[in-house]
Amino acid sequence: MTTFKLLKIEIRMLYNQFRLAITTPSMLLFYGVTFFGIFFVSSVISSLVTFAPLLVNLSGLMEETIDVWMIYAATAVLSASAVVSGYFGVGPAAVLSDIDESLLMSMPVKPHQIFLSRYGRRIIRKVSFIFLGLLAVFPLLQSAGLLFLTMATILVIITIFLEINYLLGAMSSYARLWISKKATSPLRHLLVVLLGILVLLPASPWLIETLRVFVIVPSNALALSLSEFTGIFSQGVNPIVGVMLILVDFAICILVMANLTGYEYYEVFAAIKGQEQTEGRFSKIIRGDVDFSNSRFNDPMIWIMLKDFWSRLRSPMQLWKYIYAVFGTGFVLYLNIARPPWFPAFMIPVGLAFAIVPAFILMMIMFVQMGSVTAMLSFVDERDNVYLLKASPFKPRDIILAKYLLSLFEVAIAVLPACGFLIYLLHIEGYLAIITLAAPLVLIFTATGNAIGAYVPVITNDPKTLPVPLAFSFPIINLGLGTAMVYLVAIFANSWIIIVLLPLFTITLVSFFLTLAVHALNTYK
Amino acid sequence: MKGDELINLARVLKVPITKRTIQRSWLIDELIEELEKRSSRDSPINALHQPAIELEKVTKLFGKTVAVRNLDLQVHPGEILGLVGPNGAGKTTTLRILTGIIRASSGVIQVNGHDINDSPILAKASIGYIPEKPTCYPSLTAREYVTFMARIYKVPQEIALIRMREYVELFQFDEFIDSYIGTLSKGNLQRVLLIGIFVREPPYILALDEPIYGLDPRGAWNLKKLLKRLRGEGSAILISTHILEVATDLCDRFVIMNEGDVVGRGTLEELLALQPQATSLEEVFLGLTGGIPE
Repeated sequence: MTTFKLLKIEIRMLYNQFRLAITTPSMLLFYGVTFFGIFFVSSVISSLVTFAPLLVNLSGLMEETIDVWMIYAATAVLSASAVVSGYFGVGPAAVLSDIDESLLMSMPVKPHQIFLSRYGRRIIRKVSFIFLGLLAVFPLLQSAGLLFLTMATILVIITIFLEINYLLGAMSSYARLWISKKATSPLRHLLVVLLGILVLLPASPWLIETLRVFVIVPSNALALSLSEFTGIFSQGVNPIVGVMLILVDFAICILVMANLTGYEYYEVFAAIKGQEQTEGRFSKIIRGDVDFSNSRFNDPMIWIMLKDFWSRLRSPMQLWKYIYAVFGTGFVLYLNIARPPWFPAFMIPVGLAFAIVPAFILMMIMFVQMGSVTAMLSFVDERDNVYLLKASPFKPRDIILAKYLLSLFEVAIAVLPACGFLIYLLHIEGYLAIITLAAPLVLIFTATGNAIGAYVPVITNDPKTLPVPLAFSFPIINLGLGTAMVYLVAIFANSWIIIVLLPLFTITLVSFFLTLAVHALNTYK
Repeated sequence: MKGDELINLARVLKVPITKRTIQRSWLIDELIEELEKRSSRDSPINALHQPAIELEKVTKLFGKTVAVRNLDLQVHPGEILGLVGPNGAGKTTTLRILTGIIRASSGVIQVNGHDINDSPILAKASIGYIPEKPTCYPSLTAREYVTFMARIYKVPQEIALIRMREYVELFQFDEFIDSYIGTLSKGNLQRVLLIGIFVREPPYILALDEPIYGLDPRGAWNLKKLLKRLRGEGSAILISTHILEVATDLCDRFVIMNEGDVVGRGTLEELLALQPQATSLEEVFLGLTGGIPE
């Protein structure tokens, strides 16, 4: 009964969040931007490319280039990677929060009840987002000549499969807890290899052909469903069989995981909570004894930048980003110069040639968008300290400019290797001209990131939590702006006006978003 | 009680619908009659186990760091025990162990006679906890949270409604009861958590970590008065604080901790006798935790 009470309160919280979202104009605006933004972008994409022939070609091409067992292997690799990463993860402790520590963990409720209720909420939330997502990409589905129900079912079974993988990962984390109680030797971690093999093994063609019962394994069930729904390597089995198998697998996994969730995960949560406040050991080694308070700069803007740079560098994640930027740039330079035979570029089939330029542009926009998340986090990471910054003797304009300039650097170094990789992978004609568009995109997306990040405390009254609509609308706003820019360039491609228009477009948008950010900062309560 | 709350109570008590649209005073009479009938049927007030809280040789290690070492502690019904100590003394860790949030490395912890490791649900059902930093689910309203607490602790609906009203009035929280918790100030958040605890039936076993934190003088005064009343009614209360005025004002006995160890224990008189030069709890505390500064 307690599980249902907990689930009820979780649903109530979701409902309240939804009610808040639709009654708060700013939240509604962001949800609206998200939904109609996706709708707009998918309409533009579907008008640029007609997808139906693309998909017809794709299914034929797939049957020619790969064999059926590769699909089974790919899904099994997904499960295996979930099991391996889950082994090093925190399992069900990931659903716990600081609030749970203060409330639920001291209440007469069992850990598995918290896990199940929180998980139930996660599922309900996901289902609603999938539904909204499907509605928003309706123009794309329509253009590709795909049936809405089939697409929805495919999306649902993929989501359930990913949830099964999450649960497998959680089970793997339990295996680590268990083995750590039984043994202390570092060799105990060989268990993860065994678990990985255990998940990969059922994808063996010989096993599946000899013992058909192995099709019940989640990765095999997904592969079967996908091949039957899409018609690629179809064996004439009713696709519903695969769906049923996945549902059964999901039910088994969630029940097993609920049984495994115990009080030891409270300890795991307490341990990660303690760790997150400490600096990564590796960061400390790299950072050395740098003390930026010795800086000879007096400009407040430089000080904010130095503070952000060094405080971020103390988080392991940020450090890996810099390492990725350095090694990634080196690697793509090597790829583009040496063109190694062991890593060939993607060979574009003739049938798909018409779609490759839009694909290149879309991927470029996506890469810049992904890189620009840092810009949004530059404010979100401040958390409550944003009020300290606001109360300090800095002009709001200086704060925003400092954040923008540092974010610009960080976004640029994240985008650089990605663009280099894109050039190498899709070596399209005129790539040099197109890739230069990444520069204005970086300038604009960094400004939108700063502006949206600056609005977090305005919208939520709580600078610690990034509201969901913001997290969703940020990529959509950027995708919309990116698409608009490409559209502009496409229209004036043969005219000299573009030399004036493109900088004007960029400067106007950057100024607009930075002014918005200043406005947000001025309206903090 | 407000009109809608009375109607809600009437619904819970299954007062016939025809009798609900009557004069307020008649409905109140009807409700009182029904409540009296029910209370006469219900079991008598539960008595607490003696001692209500018992920690025996409790040690907690975080890696090689000793957070709490060999802690022995008992809180009896009708007693307020103050757990005092400087920052990092191990007070909050002790309360987290006591409420089953984390496990002790060794030692025995019993709440109302139930071992927190062997019977965690029974032990946790007996204790109410207010954390050091008050936090709560921001997207619930205060009323929803209190109702949720009543459900989790299996408080009959009619009792929950009456007690909620009683404590909403005591903490002057009426205007915020339907507000989202995320919009409340720290003091009001503390009030919601306290109402959530007191919606249960007394006597209580309470573990309060800095309970006065964030409350305005009137709220703090009300809470202190309430805690003294609850002590008189047989509740067992463990308060962790470093506000020594609060501790002196409320507590019958003290356990003074420093760097995980108990450095002093007893009533104020006993502690003063141990430190002849001290004239107050503050001076005893300073003397036991590093000396009185010049």
